[in-house]
Amino acid sequence: MRAQKTGSPWRIGVLFSRTGFMSVIEETQYYGTMLAIEEINSAGGVNGRELIPVIYDPGSEALSFGHFAKRLMIEDSVSTIFGCYTSSSRKAVLPVVERLNGLLWYPTLYEGFEASPNVIYTGAAPNQNSLALCRFLMKTYGNRFYFIGSDYIYPRESNRVMRELIKESGGSVVGERYLNIRARRQDFLPVVNEIRRLQPDVIFSTVVGDGTVFLYQTYTEAGLDPRTMPIASLTTTEAEIRAMGFDVGEGHITAAPYFEGVPGAANATFVTNFKKRFGDDCSTNMCVESSYFQFYLFAKALEQANTLDTDVLRSMVLGTTFSAPQGQVAVDPLSGHTDLWTRIGRANRRGQFDILDESSSAVHPDPFLIGYGRAMAGTE
Amino acid sequence: MSDTPNKAEHHKVKTEGFPDDQKTVVQELRGLAVAVVAPLDDQTSFLVRELQRLRIRVRQTWPMPETIPSDADIVYCEYSPDIARRLPWIPGDARSALVVILPNGDPIQPDALAHATPDAALSRPFSGNAVIASLILARSQFRYEQRLRSKIERLDENLRSMRTVERAKTILMTTRHMPENEAYGFIRRQAMDRRVSTSAVAAAIVDSFELLGYDQQQ
Repeated sequence: MRAQKTGSPWRIGVLFSRTGFMSVIEETQYYGTMLAIEEINSAGGVNGRELIPVIYDPGSEALSFGHFAKRLMIEDSVSTIFGCYTSSSRKAVLPVVERLNGLLWYPTLYEGFEASPNVIYTGAAPNQNSLALCRFLMKTYGNRFYFIGSDYIYPRESNRVMRELIKESGGSVVGERYLNIRARRQDFLPVVNEIRRLQPDVIFSTVVGDGTVFLYQTYTEAGLDPRTMPIASLTTTEAEIRAMGFDVGEGHITAAPYFEGVPGAANATFVTNFKKRFGDDCSTNMCVESSYFQFYLFAKALEQANTLDTDVLRSMVLGTTFSAPQGQVAVDPLSGHTDLWTRIGRANRRGQFDILDESSSAVHPDPFLIGYGRAMAGTE
Repeated sequence: MSDTPNKAEHHKVKTEGFPDDQKTVVQELRGLAVAVVAPLDDQTSFLVRELQRLRIRVRQTWPMPETIPSDADIVYCEYSPDIARRLPWIPGDARSALVVILPNGDPIQPDALAHATPDAALSRPFSGNAVIASLILARSQFRYEQRLRSKIERLDENLRSMRTVERAKTILMTTRHMPENEAYGFIRRQAMDRRVSTSAVAAAIVDSFELLGYDQQQ
């Protein structure tokens, strides 16, 4: 897309599921994106031009993400798209933005091993969450892990990384189960029974969507105790805790760059504005936050570039920093991933996470885990 | 052979200097399936005849279907402003080479053409040279892109297998107290002796290490 006429609005695409089994988390990413758009528009837009989102609901179907990306770029003449939670949906959008030279802003943690010139990644790569989580769990609870995940790309890849970390630190994986991403409540009972029999020290969950609620609720109904055998996750945020019930979530562990309870003025303002817009009972979470700050990164770059042309915009984004609610973040020029904070949280009775551990500054992304093999060898 | 003497001679000239087992570009086109989405006028008939003369299997369709057929090797499709929407694939995931037939005179929308991501274009009125050029370009561009895509897939796989080799090396270094170079040499020798890939040997080491629970015995 070429530079637009002065005064005409900037059109951008938004692709998050607001229906279907992924809506519990993707809807919060939608809210984070819309909050940023509304704030920027009410402050006069970017270079005096309003931002107009073109919004589609792919309904949690990966293929629909590809088709809507095609429609956005071809029929709606949009070149910049904010969206995607699951890796399957990202991989559906990828060929479209790569072939037509668009720019996808992807605000979700994922399994790494990708660095497309047509994507800006603002969620955590494995070295920014798995590594710290593994260390914390082994130190606090023990070294026998049980893996439970939804059956798609992210859980299998993320578990592969986790398994390596555990093995290399002298731990073991005593069980591993994958359930269909559309699994029903009753499908979790055999898993929880197996967990009860095997008595691992930690349950590492990469279950996403509605399944998260079923897993934690089945765990609670079975009378298991998070103080001695917690469910640890990279994906269970304040949104899922709220959906499952605060009492159900209490005591379980999540590693993330952001929790609502992060101290600081930037986050206080963000949380206040979010609740004012979407209701006091709505919590922010890592996905809301990355959706929100990535839009500000975009707006800052657009202000300088004054064009939605992908090549110009991307070069403006790379290397920039931003005071996000989680703290100072920066976009890595080499990989298009983002320096993010690492934090370990334990859910409390109010559905919030108490921060038990955090990095001293933002952690550099290493999506291909190039430096990490050596780092691990060094600790042995 | 239905070729006119003139054309046959033309082909003969092109094959000179090629060893017998190497196909000429024209020979490689033989037997391909081509879908022609265009009204059957004199021009289209000419295009179909030219393609058939090259022993290409041709199927002509009109009016323009809502979804352009996806089962051909090459699709020749009449330009229309909504051609990209009618393609049966999403951009970047094309299943056939695409040649867009351009109208004679009427201006086209450049963005609409770009969105269709064609591999070649053929302007009306057609000539024999233009037809053969469009075929060769479309086929070679499309197949080159496919080869690049599969190369990237393989690179991704290699990247992952390199990590397996790293892990296997670490296992050997820890359990057999081998220095780094020796551990890697061990994996490579095993691969050569067994005539399998280095990554297959590495995967076997990692798997057996996990199966036997070596770490628990230590």
